[in-house]
Amino acid sequence: MPLDPLSSTFAALADPTRRAILARLALGETSVMELAKPFDMSLPAISKHLKVLEHAGLISRGREAQWRPCRIAPASFKQVDGWLGNFRRFWDESFNRLDGLLEEMKAEEAAKAPPRSNRKVRVKKEKQRGRMRG
Amino acid sequence: MDACVDRTLRITTPSDFEFAMTRQFDAPRRFVFDAMTKPEYVVRWLGCEQLTMPVCEIDLRVGGAYRFVFRSSDAVEHILTGTYREVVRPERLAFGETFAMPGFTSDEYLVTSTFVEEGGTTTLTTTIRHPTKEARDGHLNSGIDKGVEPAYDRLAEIVAEMG
Repeated sequence: MPLDPLSSTFAALADPTRRAILARLALGETSVMELAKPFDMSLPAISKHLKVLEHAGLISRGREAQWRPCRIAPASFKQVDGWLGNFRRFWDESFNRLDGLLEEMKAEEAAKAPPRSNRKVRVKKEKQRGRMRG
Repeated sequence: MDACVDRTLRITTPSDFEFAMTRQFDAPRRFVFDAMTKPEYVVRWLGCEQLTMPVCEIDLRVGGAYRFVFRSSDAVEHILTGTYREVVRPERLAFGETFAMPGFTSDEYLVTSTFVEEGGTTTLTTTIRHPTKEARDGHLNSGIDKGVEPAYDRLAEIVAEMG
């Protein structure tokens, strides 16, 4: 499946078992045996999840020891975290700018429509007076 | 003057297939609706500092299409395209949308926005419905909001602390 690196990262994160594995690894490196303990799953099933996580760059497996310790790969997480920060920022920044635009739209309309003696305008005026007092 | 306007962006998960964003604005809903549906307004607020918006086309009618292109400083384009399904000014807007960037095109998801006005304040609620729970979770796990996926966010925090 042609996935960009972030997509394969998110696909790996979409599975609750894999998130649980990552949560465990966030506490420190460990063996596949240790990782498998809390799950009602066979070792091959856990290994399969680990392969997905490794492929997504979320974990790395040590080559130095025979038990090949699993550990989290912080660089990949930083990339994900940066991306999510961007997404949140996108909407926050957008909506903050929209606040400014709405103020302009309100001011333009107020300038276009000189106050007339209808109820709406009276309410507005009262509000404005209230503001000035406050 | 707007002590009662809550400008916090809030995210919830109303069902397995959906998530919702809520935000309040200190303006009548017809202004908020127009700001979101007229290109001359949209280009002025949608996006973020690092992105330019070279294309903003809107054909605002049921069955009409829109196309927003955002370009980053390294010339990568992120494209939002969609078709309007409901256009009820100034209270409701619904469209099917697809997001594309180099090497990735999303499935179509349904976006429904409601505009509720009370005392001059508009509450915008945007619900995004994915075809499957997995797709929604993928979208959510991508971290649209820090509060939605606590397990994942805690993990990211722990990892950040690890350096």
